[in-house]
Amino acid sequence: MNATSLEEQLPSYLILGVLAIVVVASLAVLARLGVRLLATTKIGRTFLLAVRSLWLHKLRASLSVLGIVIGTSAVIALMAFGSGSMQDALNDIKKQGATNIIVRSVKPTDDSATGGRTMVASYGLKFSDLDRFATFSDSFVRMVPMRVFPSEVRYLERLDTKGRLVATVPDYQLVNQIALAGGRFLTDEDERNLSNNCVLGAGVADKLFPFEEPLGKTVMIRQHRFLIVGVSADRMPTGGTGGSQAAEDYNHDVYIPFSTCRARIGETVFVRTSGSRSGEKVQLSQVTLTVDADFESKAGRHKVKALGDAIKDMLKEDHYKEDWAVTIPLDRLEQAERAEENFTRLLVLIASISLIVGGIGIMNIMLATVTERTREIGIRRALGAKRGDIITQFLVEAVVQTTVGGLMGVLLGVALVFGAPPIYVWIAGGNLPAVLTWEPIVLSLTVSIFVGVIFGLYPAWRAARLDPIEALRHT
Amino acid sequence: MLVEVRNLVKDYHMGDVTVNVLRGLDLGFAEGDFVALMGPSGSGKSTLMNILGCLDRPTSGQYYLRNQDVSRMSDDALSEVRCTYLGFIFQAYNLLPQYTVVENIELPLLYQGIRLDETTKARCIALAEMVGLGTRLDHRPLQLSGGQQQRVAIARSLVNDPQLILADEPTGNLDSITSEEIMTMLQQLNREGKTIIMVTHENDIAAWARRVVRLRDGRVESDERNDGAVFAAEVTG
Repeated sequence: MNATSLEEQLPSYLILGVLAIVVVASLAVLARLGVRLLATTKIGRTFLLAVRSLWLHKLRASLSVLGIVIGTSAVIALMAFGSGSMQDALNDIKKQGATNIIVRSVKPTDDSATGGRTMVASYGLKFSDLDRFATFSDSFVRMVPMRVFPSEVRYLERLDTKGRLVATVPDYQLVNQIALAGGRFLTDEDERNLSNNCVLGAGVADKLFPFEEPLGKTVMIRQHRFLIVGVSADRMPTGGTGGSQAAEDYNHDVYIPFSTCRARIGETVFVRTSGSRSGEKVQLSQVTLTVDADFESKAGRHKVKALGDAIKDMLKEDHYKEDWAVTIPLDRLEQAERAEENFTRLLVLIASISLIVGGIGIMNIMLATVTERTREIGIRRALGAKRGDIITQFLVEAVVQTTVGGLMGVLLGVALVFGAPPIYVWIAGGNLPAVLTWEPIVLSLTVSIFVGVIFGLYPAWRAARLDPIEALRHT
Repeated sequence: MLVEVRNLVKDYHMGDVTVNVLRGLDLGFAEGDFVALMGPSGSGKSTLMNILGCLDRPTSGQYYLRNQDVSRMSDDALSEVRCTYLGFIFQAYNLLPQYTVVENIELPLLYQGIRLDETTKARCIALAEMVGLGTRLDHRPLQLSGGQQQRVAIARSLVNDPQLILADEPTGNLDSITSEEIMTMLQQLNREGKTIIMVTHENDIAAWARRVVRLRDGRVESDERNDGAVFAAEVTG
């Protein structure tokens, strides 16, 4: 974690810290003076009185704090589920590499790309583009070119028609975080020697070698034999969340060295699809550039975007057709983050509304209580209670109510966060990710305490303003 | 003089009508006195009690309590005076129903800002025993009879060791036997040096006092020493 991100998260840590200090301090004081404090001081007595008179009207008190309970628990649960699914989306994007710039070949829509009789479409990124990208090499950690096309894979009489050939360099493993089930990934040596080695995706390996060990066997791909040196572990398809990125199934990939593909298979590839044959002449399907930057810092983000723009400009200049596309996952990351921010703001709004509604409920009950206890107020005033004492008494009662309501709401909310996902999965299937954070808990508790103060103030003031003589005469 | 009022006037404004309840009272009560305030309803005795009890302020005139003019004090200062120098006994006892006997007796101390610890609790228990409720310390007012409740109220009025006890028809809700018990108790307190001002409209209750002041239409009608009363009460008691 670096300085900037710590700085960004500082407010929440600060709140947590202050709260922790307050809690620890008050616990320490309470522990030292114990119940004695409650029983012997005025504020302690006031607190006990509040608890006692609320206990006297349990049903009424619990009904009046229901609004606060529901508001608080709703905020906590919604916040947890909201940030859970948001976290899911963010992780998805981070998995793709938040500092990557993905440059792809795109088949232009107009027919002029197809070269006459041969029906071979020639388009896309060129090796020369790769060289030009390399002029930025200071800013990149790695640059991974790929050539991808569908291809049957054969072992003896077994055939996987869904195979996809991915010709790439060893760094691919780092960019895409390929985990291996066995063997090794492609190496620099494979690349230098143009060796006919390949790494099978889990799906291909399952299909071709249901009962055997694939490592060391030889498969046929486009009339060439490849020695299996590794098998990748099962890999989740990436969700096609963005408009430009379709869902990809990686389990039928077969990885071969980039140089081998260039030398043995070449640029022009014919693909049979549903009876017809089409050819395409593409040098590079995709280049993934990993920028040397920290996506959590502002400067790092700026650097990624600036490089993306530079690459776009470069491609615009050199390509006659729009046969390329640049994707910057960071853009989507920022979009998701903005969405999360808006979502949080919305939740805070909903929370405020529900807590205000809860506060009105409290105020209603407190006003009734003041009327009901007018005589008690008169007695206390006669025995020497100041206006301030009366205000404190009713304010403490309101705050105790909303605080207890808030705490019950927190418990209910946390219970929902832990209890709802299994039920949801049981009923609806799928999954319901939830991330429980401190912020909504601290926020909603603080707000419910404040609601007690704000909505208790008017009834308390009404109580204190009563004329003691009138109040004593009240029956 | 412990209590002295000079030219005390109290007017009430009800819309356009002004009611002159007290029309220039001049009274003094010495320390250790036991005064019965009498008069028909509307005579101003309750208003006078409220002013003496620092629950109300006069329209004009002065009220000196311990040679201090309290008639122009702030609300908070009056609260202070009430819980330090005054003890109240009401006709309707005015105990807090959610509190036990001991907690009710403690209440004035709470507003004095005194720490309620074992010492104060012992004092409250002693007072409860003094009024004969030593076995009912944890009872709530509603579990007690009227006479017992009034005794709790007496104990409560004594807990802050007040210089002046104000009793507003203390026997108004009680039968004659219980009334006598309560009056005996008040008389005993007076003998021990407490100054008591008591409102009543019953002559046989007023007979317990050393001095009887009668009000009529906001003025003093009569002010007599009641020297035989103590003796008479002692004979009956």
